[in-house]
This record gives sequence, C-alpha cells and structure tokens, in this order.
Amino acid sequence: MSNITNDTEPFVLFELAGTTYGVRSRFVQQMEMVEHITPVPNAPPAVEGVVLARGQVIPALSLRARFGFEKIPYDLRARLLVVNSGGRTIGLIADTAREFVRIPAAAIEPPPEAITGLSGKYLEGIATIDGRMILVLDLGEVIDLGDQQPVV
Amino acid sequence: MSDPHPDNGGDFFAQFLDDYFAECDEHLTLVRRHLLALEEQVGRPDVDPALLDELFRSFHTLKGISAMVDLSEAERLAHHMESYLRALRQKEARPGVEGVETLMAATTVLERVITARRTGEAPPAIDTTVARLRALHSESAATAEQPAPLQTADASDTDAEHVRSPARPSGAAGGSEHARVWRFEFVPTPALSERGVNVNSIRARLQELGEILQATPHVRGDGGIVFEFVVATGFEESTFAGWHEDNLTYTPVEEATADTTEAATTNGRAALSSDTDEDSHPTQATPAASMLSPSNVVRVDLARLDELMRLIGALVTSRARLDESLKHLKRTVAPAEWRALQETSLAMSRQLRDLREGVMRVRMVQVGEIFERMRFVVRDLTRESGKEIRLELLGQETEIDKFLVERMTDPLLHLVRNAVSHGLETVEERAALGKPPEGKITLRAATSGDNVLIEIADDGRGIDAERVAARARERGLISGDERLDEAQLLELICAPGFSTRDEADRASGRGVGMDVVCSTVEELGGTLRLATEKGRGTRFTVGLPLTLAIAEALIASVGGQRFAFPQTVVREVIEVEASSVRVLENNEIVSYRGEVLPLVRLARLFDLEETTGDSFHVFVIGGGANAVGLVVDRAVGQREVVVRGLNDPLVKVAGVAGATDLGDGRVVLILDVAALKHSALGGRLAAGIGTAI
Repeated sequence: MSNITNDTEPFVLFELAGTTYGVRSRFVQQMEMVEHITPVPNAPPAVEGVVLARGQVIPALSLRARFGFEKIPYDLRARLLVVNSGGRTIGLIADTAREFVRIPAAAIEPPPEAITGLSGKYLEGIATIDGRMILVLDLGEVIDLGDQQPVV
Repeated sequence: MSDPHPDNGGDFFAQFLDDYFAECDEHLTLVRRHLLALEEQVGRPDVDPALLDELFRSFHTLKGISAMVDLSEAERLAHHMESYLRALRQKEARPGVEGVETLMAATTVLERVITARRTGEAPPAIDTTVARLRALHSESAATAEQPAPLQTADASDTDAEHVRSPARPSGAAGGSEHARVWRFEFVPTPALSERGVNVNSIRARLQELGEILQATPHVRGDGGIVFEFVVATGFEESTFAGWHEDNLTYTPVEEATADTTEAATTNGRAALSSDTDEDSHPTQATPAASMLSPSNVVRVDLARLDELMRLIGALVTSRARLDESLKHLKRTVAPAEWRALQETSLAMSRQLRDLREGVMRVRMVQVGEIFERMRFVVRDLTRESGKEIRLELLGQETEIDKFLVERMTDPLLHLVRNAVSHGLETVEERAALGKPPEGKITLRAATSGDNVLIEIADDGRGIDAERVAARARERGLISGDERLDEAQLLELICAPGFSTRDEADRASGRGVGMDVVCSTVEELGGTLRLATEKGRGTRFTVGLPLTLAIAEALIASVGGQRFAFPQTVVREVIEVEASSVRVLENNEIVSYRGEVLPLVRLARLFDLEETTGDSFHVFVIGGGANAVGLVVDRAVGQREVVVRGLNDPLVKVAGVAGATDLGDGRVVLILDVAALKHSALGGRLAAGIGTAI
C-alpha cells in the first residue's frame, strides 16, 4: 500500500439500511458473497454463525442486528467483509459493498451528540465526501460484544 | 516488510539463535537433573565423578555457545560455574551445601538471562550471582596448588568432542607432566582431499601427538569450514612445524590464570572476529563435518510441522470428498472398475493415516522434560515453605505433543505450587495427624486411548469444601446450602480470581491462577478433573488429546443441521422408537441394557426444530448410572475430521468444542459432549469446563 499523502486513507464503503458506512481498508482482509452460514446455538443474537473463509472458521456478525435494524434475508448483493482487528478475524455482513474511497483524515468529524441511537455508539466519526455522508465505523466497538455475553 | 539484512544474514542469525535456545534448553534440563543428583551426594565421602564431568561439560558448552551469540551475561555466568566445577573435579574443593545452592541459584539466573534474550527483554542483573560463584571459586583456588592444566580461554567452542566421548576420564590432559596445549586449525580443500588429507586423517595424525581435548568445527564468515583441535602433547613444536603445507596451522594455548572472566570473554570475541576476518579459503563441503556433530538429530521449527499437519488436514478433507464422489459413482460405473477405485481410495486412507501418525510422532516429546523442571521447582519450594516433600515422578517416558507441553508448563507449575503451599501440611501438622513427616507429591503421566493423562497428586489436607462454599456464597457464586461435589468444587476454584487463601502465599501467588489452568486445558481441548478427600489429599487429573488436529467423529443431523461428535466419547448409537419413551418427572427416559437412560434432546437444547418421526437415534454418552442419551434425528456417518478451534469470544459457547468443514465449504460444529451432558443435567455452572466423562 503506498501512502501518497499521509493524511488520506483508503476506506471500504458498504451499505446498511440505506446508509453508507466506511471501514478502513487496511482492516479488511477480503470480501465475499454471503453463503453457507452455520448457526451457532446459544451465541449472541447478532452472531449469525460461523463461515469458512480461506480455510479458516470465523464468526459472521450481522451488522443489521448489531445496529438494531430489522434483519433482511441475504441476497446476491449481500457481502461478507472479513476484517482483522485486535488479533481477531471476523466476518461482517452488510447489505452490499462495492466501493473504495480515500478519505482525508481532516474530513472525519466526531459523531454529533444528536446521534444517540444504538448505532451511534459504534461510530468513530462522520465524513462528508462530495456531498455524501459516510459513517466511519469504530471496528473495535462493533466486534466487542462484552456488553451482551451469551447466557447459557 | 523490510529486512534490515537483505543478504539473508538476518535469517541465518535468527536460525542460529533458534538453535542456540534449543541447545540451551537441553543443557539446562541436564544441569537441573545433575544438580539435584549432586545435592543428594553432598556430604558423602565420594561424589560420583561422572556427575561432575557432566556438569562441567554442560557449563562449558553453555559458555561456548553463549559467546557465539554474544550473550556475555550468560557466558560469564557459565564461565564461573564451569570454573567451580573444574575445582570440584580436581578435588581442589569439595561440593558442599552452599556450593550446590549457589549453582542452583546461578542456573535459575542463567535461564532467565537466556529467556530474556529470547523475548527481547533486558537481562536480569547477574553481579550478585557472579560474586557468589567467585567466592566459591576463590576459596577453592586458594587451596589449589597448581593452575588448571587447561584454561579454556577459547570461549567460542562447543566441545563437540566431549559430547561424543563422555567416558573420557577427567583431567586426562594433565596426565603427562610436560604436555603443552596447542590449538590446531585445519581448513579442508578439494586439492588436499585428493591427496587423502581430510579431517579424518588430520584427526588421526593429531591423536598420535597426544590427547585431543577438543574438536570443534567452525563456520567462518564466508561460509567456509575450519576444524579446530585443541591438543595436549609432550612433543616438540618441530614435530609438527611442517604441517602447515596441509593447511594445518597451530598456536600455543596460553595458560591464563584463573578468575579472569573479562579476559576470557574478550579472548572469545577476538577468536570469533578473527574467524570472520580471515581470508576466504576454497573449501569443500566435507561429509566429515557430520562425524563431528554430537548426534544425527535434526531440529525442526514447530511451525514447519504445523504447516505439514495443515497440509495433511487438507489431504484428509480431499480424500473424504473423493469418497463421497465414489459413493455417487457406484450406480453408474461398472462394478469391477468401481471396486478398483474404491480399493485405491481405501489404500490412500490408510496411507494418510500413517503419514499423519508419522508427522505426529515427530512432534512428540517425553513428558519427563517438563517433570524434571518440576523437580527443581519443588526443591525451591521445599526450602521456602519449610515443609518436607518427596516428589515422585511416574511415566516420564510418556510422549506428548511438543505444543501441548509448552502450553501446559505454566499450568502444571501452578498445580504443583498449589500442592506444596495449600495441599501439604507442615511437618508439625503432619506429625499431629499421625502422618509421615514427609509430604508426597506425585506427578504421573500415562497414555489412555487418544488421551494423555497427567496427574498431580498430594497426600496433604485436601480441599476444604466448606471453606470454598462459604467463600463462594460470600461472592454470590452459589446461593443454597447444598453440598458441593468435586466437579462443582473444581468449577468454583476455577472461577477467575477465586481463591480461598487466607494469607498471601508467596509460592502460589506467582504466575498463573487456577482460572488460567482451567482455561488453558479447555483451550487445548482437554479435561480437568478433581478428586479430593479431607485429610487424605488432592488429585488433579489433566486429560489432553494426543493429537490436536484430526479426530474421528460421528456426524448426525439435528433439526436440519449437521453436527459432529467426537467418537471417543460416544459409547453406542442406538435406535429408539418414539413410542418407547417414558416420561418421569419431566424427564424423558428409555430403558437401555436393563437400566434407565435419561434422554437429552439436542434440538431442544439448541432451540432447533424438533422432528417428529417414529424413531430417532440416540448417542449413549458415559456409562453406568451416569449414562445419558443425546437425541439426534439421524446419525449420518462416521469420518475423520480436521478440528479447528472456535476461540473468538463471539462464538465461544458452552457445548461447542470446535468446528470442521466436511469438504463442501460448509462449517459443521463439533460438540463438546461432556459440557452438553453437564448443562442438560442441570449443572448451571457448566459454562466452560469440559468435565471428563
């Protein structure tokens, strides 16, 4: 990866319930179609199950469920974003994902206080690029389910 | 990725360091064992000279190899340990309690110095230890009339010759009164080899001169090889002055006076750097080099074996797919052809199993390695605690996967420490109880089917269940007044931060806690069991899988989903008519071999759709009164699966031990049958601990 300037970074954009989100592409290992998820009994509700990604068995997390949106059946547009964070590899399921953009660090602003919804907690900030609003994900928060451990 | 050494020098050195650490491990293990043996002989009129020789050799080697990796702290420590051992060998000093103590303390520090280098941390201070060693050494030096016959200032050798012939009598060099010591260096070349001059003929020639004290191959900076021989001879220099034509050069070895560590260190470095600065000679990769190596052992990085295991795992999966395809082919292919295919497939299956076992065998090491370490620890604890302890080791030759040993070292250490500080009583307490004053700790290893069992037992006071219960109630972990059984006790003491320690106990306060013991065992796919009896003692049994990667499994479908069950825990698969199920106090039961078998419906446990057929399959788990039947819809097959861990907290749930793929891109969960059984039977503490069946 070549850093042309220090203050822009490539992001992978994905859609979720009509909103565009961005995740730093250095955290994204690959993107796949969503298929063959094996449910794991008694796992937290947002965990759809496990999938095989490049020979590795990883958890698949429904971002819709995680952010409190209504779940929809997966279609051909749905994508599994395999991300690496904190030594863990996890698949995030988004409605669709197909863009890369570079976002200048200066364009990312802290999320406004007004966003107090469930998803506000998982945001690192908001960027506006060419008039589009992109919500930048705080990956660490998203994959940390410490607040809702499974109860057996 | 940027490599500071584009010439691969970095890689070479890293490899070299790996070898160094491995060799240090071997020698430290030997040293510990020999020091303990020496300790027992202290005070006897005669100490086994072979023991002193072994120790001397180990320290000498540690010194040499430490100098080669430029780890001067280790080199200094080893040097002083070696010097003291030399004095002992020459009877200039007698081994006393103080001396053995100091050597043991120094060994511990030496190990920490080496570990610090491995982990990249700052080395511990060694000055106090060196001072203690020197004190011993100068006492002995004061009584010594003459200097040591050979002051091995050459800190860079590895003493391969000594390793090869351990029976060599000590002090042989001093045998001839007027012998001088020379260092010869031989550089082989193809031209010399044609004339019949090679390392073997040179060695023979030098043997005629006198005693070869050392023979060491060195790899020079340019990759060429130099053989160094240290020879004690009574012959005059003129005898071998003409041998330089054969690329055999010599220098006298100065007889330096004792306790000049710094000088020795500098010499060692100088020798090393002169090696690298030397002009490059044309060299020949001589097969004779192997005859100088201590043994025909190859050290392999565990990661490479892991990669091999992974490849074998992939092969196993591919073969299973082939098997699947063959089944479909059966209808369309001529019987004779199909049989041929089938036979080939079966042969492959057998060969794969052999291959897998072969690789597994390479990974196996003896449990004794870790037990020896415990001996040392117990000895330290004995002194700290003032208790009298006898350590009994059984089944040291039991083999276990190297990876498992490494991971289990700290947990076992903790269990042993616990046994000493919590388990065993003091001498007075034992006397009052009518027990022998000496407490006994037993470490036993054994292979049992696909498992290795490691047992840590003491004959101490046993775990006080009431105290544990009281504390658990205090912390809100349990509520009622019910009596705790051993499995519940274990779960409680494994709870993070749980401890019934009344006062801070130094010994068990170190390192990991009981919760780490449990989680490590669990992570490795093992089991932990507890047996304890008040006043009689406590026994922990760790069960570990012999192999990590591949297991035989039964595949069953439950509510439309496939699950894998480790075959070793399933006693029997029976077919049950739905009409034969009776209900007894909310429990479903069937009769099985004249007994009552309670049923556990997995579909219900997992919140899956229950199928309502006329009959279903039941996996019988456990035996006797403990037997439970796990209800599945259908058993669909039996096969080898490649076990993958499910360690991410998102999917770490009780009852699921891991996952596998059956070759069709779908993941199948491998169930932790023990935990399932436990939770189904109402053990609400079940989360996490795979209690053995």
